[in-house]
Amino acid sequence: MKRNLAKPFFYFFAILAISASFTACISGSKDKKATEEDKIVESVTVDGKVMDDFKKSKLIFYSLPSPLETAMLIKRAGATYNEDLLNPLNNLEKYTTNRQMALNLGIYSADLSYTSLFDQTQSSIKYMANTKKLAEGLGIIDAIDENTLRKLENNMNNRDVMMDIISETFMTSNAYLTENDRPAIAVMVLVGGWMEGLYLATRLTDGSLESNQRLIDRIVYQKLSLYTVINLLEDYKDNEDINYLLTKTNELKVIFDQVKIINTSKVEATTDAEKKVTTIKADSETYISDDVFDKLLEKVAEIRNEFVS
Amino acid sequence: MRLPQKSLLLVAFMLLGVISLKAQCFSFAKNVGKAKLGEYIHDGNYNATVLSEGEKAELFKTFFEGQKYRVSISKIESLPTIHFRVVERSGKVIFDNSNHNYSLVWDFEVESTQMLIVEMEVLERKVQDNDIISGCVAVLFGVEPDKK
Repeated sequence: MKRNLAKPFFYFFAILAISASFTACISGSKDKKATEEDKIVESVTVDGKVMDDFKKSKLIFYSLPSPLETAMLIKRAGATYNEDLLNPLNNLEKYTTNRQMALNLGIYSADLSYTSLFDQTQSSIKYMANTKKLAEGLGIIDAIDENTLRKLENNMNNRDVMMDIISETFMTSNAYLTENDRPAIAVMVLVGGWMEGLYLATRLTDGSLESNQRLIDRIVYQKLSLYTVINLLEDYKDNEDINYLLTKTNELKVIFDQVKIINTSKVEATTDAEKKVTTIKADSETYISDDVFDKLLEKVAEIRNEFVS
Repeated sequence: MRLPQKSLLLVAFMLLGVISLKAQCFSFAKNVGKAKLGEYIHDGNYNATVLSEGEKAELFKTFFEGQKYRVSISKIESLPTIHFRVVERSGKVIFDNSNHNYSLVWDFEVESTQMLIVEMEVLERKVQDNDIISGCVAVLFGVEPDKK
């Protein structure tokens, strides 16, 4: 996430923060029954010029396909389950630096999502235990506790509940890091998860462009997600670990640049107001040569194996 | 000696305010935002922040072919209406909630993979004063579960 803000925002935020603190203290003593929403709203008075400048600012978020969404995309493409592709559980002890722990928290989260979607419940519990240890290693408090593991064990036959638990633990970790001023670590977790999803998808093609067209399409369209990854990383490129990841993803970009995605018609949208659904369609063509596909597989495996080792 | 103490106090208040607002944002996203996804499975991504009236935000996301997504934008009640649009990178508008009573929950069925931008703007109140209301806004994505 980045904010295109200049000095006015600093002044505004200083006023906002001070007022927020005072407001919170005052409202806390006045009315203990304040709702959650009441606690979050703040009102401050600012100078008109500062306000005008502030309104020109814009927040930008980049949302990567999460490990859970990636696992769903893989499964819905008709891919199969292959436990040999997962990052071995006993690799955990190798991860001691923040970068290793963050990347592999993402990687194990992706593996956890994959095992869960394919109803490999015993493996899911083991992978959840590993994500718990890495989250603790990164100082993420309460993202995954004993209760989470117990809930997972108690719902082994209920995939929807399991997915809900996985999604919530991923969100909690991400939010904790973001809100405790460790956004670079949060980005590393996201990138680790994305890379593992790409690794699993590429390996599940068995190295052939002919094996599963839907899965190949999923892989090809990760070219769009790569744009998001690079933008996310660019925001924190002064961080040494992020800079390392930027170098790696740019190596991947060199290969993805040779993949073609062409919209052959304009994007059309039709909305059903009653059902509150908009359908988005466009004709598009993709092209990836055998040679580029081989290079992509090789590069993805190289980067991922570097992350897990 | 008095001036540095005042400065420290000022910084402490600033930090406390920011941390307090941010922490409440997560709680808001988890307790209020996620519920609005209904039966859709939350993808696990956390997109929430404090926005003020008049402020804009953009979220870039790839929507994959064959998936049905639910976009849920939640805001604290006191924050003015949020105008949200889904646009192509070329700027073409795919969806505009001002045509649908400013609905903050909408589904998108995707027949061809596209990178789209979810644009949000907290509209300004009509009152003429210099107060700005700020509060949490959470944007969560849900994916339709497999049909049973």
